[in-house]
Amino acid sequence: MDAAVALTPEAADQAAGQAPLLEVRDFSLRRGKAVVLDGVSLALQPGETLGLIGESGAGKSTLAMALIGLLRAPEVQLEGSLRFRGTELTSLKEAEFRRLRGNKIGLIFQDATAALNPCFTVGEQIAEPLKRHLGLSKWDRRERAAALMQSVGIPEPRLRLDAYPHELSGGMQQRVMIAIALACNPELLLADEPTSALDVTIQAQIMELILDRVRELNSSAIFVLHDLALGAQVCDRIAVMYAGQIVEEGPSERVLAAPLHPYTRGLKSCVVELGSRTLVPIPGQVPPLDAMPAGCRFAPRCPKAQAVCGERRPLPETRDGRQVACWFID
Amino acid sequence: MQDALKITLLSGASQWKRRFLQPLLRQHSALVGLAIIAVYVIAAVFAPWLATHDPAAQDLMASLQGPSAAHWLGTDSYGQDLYSRLLYGAQLALIIGFASVALGLVAGVAIGLAAGLMGGRTEWVLMRIVDGLLAFPELILAMAFMAVLGLGTENVVYALALSFVGPFARMTRGDVLQVKNQPYIEAARLMGVPTAAVIWRHVLPNVVSPILVQAGMRVSIAILLESGLSFLGIGVVPPTPDWGLMIAEGRAFITMAPWISGVPGVALAILLVALNLLGDGLRDAYDPNTRKDA
Amino acid sequence: MQAPIFSLLDVERTYELRGRGWLNRTPRKLKALDGVRLELQRGDTLALVGESGSGKSTLIRLMLGLEPASDGRVLYGQRDLAQLDAEERKRFAREVAFIYQNARGSMNPRMRIADILAEPIRLHRLCEESAIADRVVALIERVGLPAGLLQRFPGELSGGQIRRVAIARALAAEPRVILADESVAGLDVSVQAQVLNLLRELCRESGITLVFITHDLGVASYLCDRIAVLYLGRIVEQGPTEAILNTPRHPYTRALLQAFPRFDMPLKASLSGEIPSPVDLPKGCRFAGRCPQAQSACRETDPVLTAHDAGRQVACLFPVASV
Repeated sequence: MDAAVALTPEAADQAAGQAPLLEVRDFSLRRGKAVVLDGVSLALQPGETLGLIGESGAGKSTLAMALIGLLRAPEVQLEGSLRFRGTELTSLKEAEFRRLRGNKIGLIFQDATAALNPCFTVGEQIAEPLKRHLGLSKWDRRERAAALMQSVGIPEPRLRLDAYPHELSGGMQQRVMIAIALACNPELLLADEPTSALDVTIQAQIMELILDRVRELNSSAIFVLHDLALGAQVCDRIAVMYAGQIVEEGPSERVLAAPLHPYTRGLKSCVVELGSRTLVPIPGQVPPLDAMPAGCRFAPRCPKAQAVCGERRPLPETRDGRQVACWFID
Repeated sequence: MQDALKITLLSGASQWKRRFLQPLLRQHSALVGLAIIAVYVIAAVFAPWLATHDPAAQDLMASLQGPSAAHWLGTDSYGQDLYSRLLYGAQLALIIGFASVALGLVAGVAIGLAAGLMGGRTEWVLMRIVDGLLAFPELILAMAFMAVLGLGTENVVYALALSFVGPFARMTRGDVLQVKNQPYIEAARLMGVPTAAVIWRHVLPNVVSPILVQAGMRVSIAILLESGLSFLGIGVVPPTPDWGLMIAEGRAFITMAPWISGVPGVALAILLVALNLLGDGLRDAYDPNTRKDA
Repeated sequence: MQAPIFSLLDVERTYELRGRGWLNRTPRKLKALDGVRLELQRGDTLALVGESGSGKSTLIRLMLGLEPASDGRVLYGQRDLAQLDAEERKRFAREVAFIYQNARGSMNPRMRIADILAEPIRLHRLCEESAIADRVVALIERVGLPAGLLQRFPGELSGGQIRRVAIARALAAEPRVILADESVAGLDVSVQAQVLNLLRELCRESGITLVFITHDLGVASYLCDRIAVLYLGRIVEQGPTEAILNTPRHPYTRALLQAFPRFDMPLKASLSGEIPSPVDLPKGCRFAGRCPQAQSACRETDPVLTAHDAGRQVACLFPVASV
């Protein structure tokens, strides 16, 4: 199969065993004057699941879009490096990206209804990547599509192959999306809020399904999420983003059980749990992109902020098995 | 508290600027159109002072003259001063254009509102009438009504207004149907707002801007149609100074005195271009369907 | 015991669907609500919890009088909503406020926030014309927004701000009851926390009766003293929040609780399958098809809502035993 994706040099492929599958180093993204992502660094090992967590405007979806080459120059200006299996993504051409997307990197979007084309049957849409990336024959594609639908828990897959998206429920549509994303056995799965349009019982089903399939294929996954508790349940690692920066990153049980960064703490105290008695909202609002504070971007809302926070940006430091960007970690 | 209120009033004015003035000021071609139209309006309003001759005064001795010091833009076959006729013609064109659109708008919006809001059988009947009106091209419809009503400036206005009722009614109904199902209409009903107030405060303001934009565009169509009718001899009666009439008259002398048709023709063309520029600009600035920053 | 402020007596709501084929025109019935019985006392805070398709939004529309009940009665105080005269209808409009899920859509985009808030005050003549401005300022400050926003239009406000304005408008007419449909859905957690705290404070301060529709059990438990769980147009369990959270009796309630994301528990897909279509419901318990502990009796007998311990009602033949 690697021959079909003659994209990465052999050497890089061999090294991929030890090297991280995905490495983001000091990555920034500018849209005009606005710095949408600012010095983001991350590493994802093969087989790991990572959750990007934060509020809207934190830049988590932007990071995901940049990773799959949907945000590129000249629309935006990129700095730093994004390496996937040793390949530098920032300098990749669109045609080369197309060979990665849907093949080595699978995508699941929030709104399956919008992401599926209403004019084609779900069978045809699942078969599309099989044709483009694997070059399977028509018969093989259909067989494989049915098997994929079976594997994502769609009952009577052979009957549903010829169904149009609108004939399926929201949960079933999301399963079809997952089937498409996993069609070519991707090494990285990118899921942008895959369940936020679904009911809780369906959300649990879908998340369990994604995790099972990812483990089975021994792939890695990046989830963009706004639900912290869900992140704790599905992700090995968590990266908490605020205003285009990663403020805290590490194993999810540490980051979410005993957060160190004031923003992570603030977020956690806002989460409604079953039987919560008090919620403590974070005061203020995310500053607009064109008026970011000079120092720590969270400083204006931070209960622990001091003079230095407003002047200099804290760089991520290793502390208690994780990276935290704060001047005053206790 | 007093100060706070003053501040809100002031900011109210600046809000108006921000919402209505600035989007228009960003449309540069619309401003060009507006400037040209302003020149025409000034010419029309001050025609009695700007004109050098009586527009209807014939002087057969001075017929078919080219531009000169006495007759700045020349004379026609009856020796009427083209410059003066042009000024008074602008007056007529603008009056007919705006009056017919205003009449058509009032009638059309009323029909559209009634159809959209009442629904059911009323809507069916009203919209079939509108369909009937829309079945004919505007010029044909206007010609038919001129044939019934007879010649004359007033009748031109009525005929043109009638041909505009259909488009306005149809458009208003469409927008009303859309707005009627918005949650804020239901919310207003739930709060107990009386029906008349719902229509006046919640429905109308939300359908009015595309209608006004459409009206702006229709003015140029009205002027063109009016000139067309007069050109065909079923509009304004001579010797009323009218551009369509002037073009028609000059047609016979096009080889020896091209200015007779040319002067009103060029004036008409420039006005139409200006009106269309303004109409497009208004649409881009206010119509929610084409608004880019919304 | 005071008379209840709202009572729903075996309310049913069916929609007729036209037959599918050309020849087969027999109408099929979609039962959005089926035998809902509910009582609301003054000062109650009740959460209607259910997944999409459970009928919770239909229930609210019936309580607002926006749709008639196909069967059964909706009483406001002692009066049937379907039989209110003009005077009573006006009073109802004043005393019962509704907060839409789509807060922005529920406001006229061409009106300033100040006018939106002034409308109900002016409408019900709650104060002198000259005092309206002050009242509007007081309202907007009460929901924690700066008075400067009053001159803005709805389209210029953020998601959290517009929800607060919706709450302010609901408060403007000094209602006795507020019905709210998913008023915090889709907000970021920190903004959601602010709005939830505001709603809770308002209810506690003013003793307003609140009916809050949500799909989120966490939100329901934070805001309301009582929870009613809906499934396919019927209340399957209702009772005090504490009891529902600690000892759910209906298998569906338990499944909802288990599927709720939690920091201290692993992910658990508690239910298989999806909520079935409310057209042509099966005989017997409507949850039987997905219920992990369904027995043959469940497919035969449709369980009714029966009283259990301390103010709790459960519609299940074999309720989950308390642990």
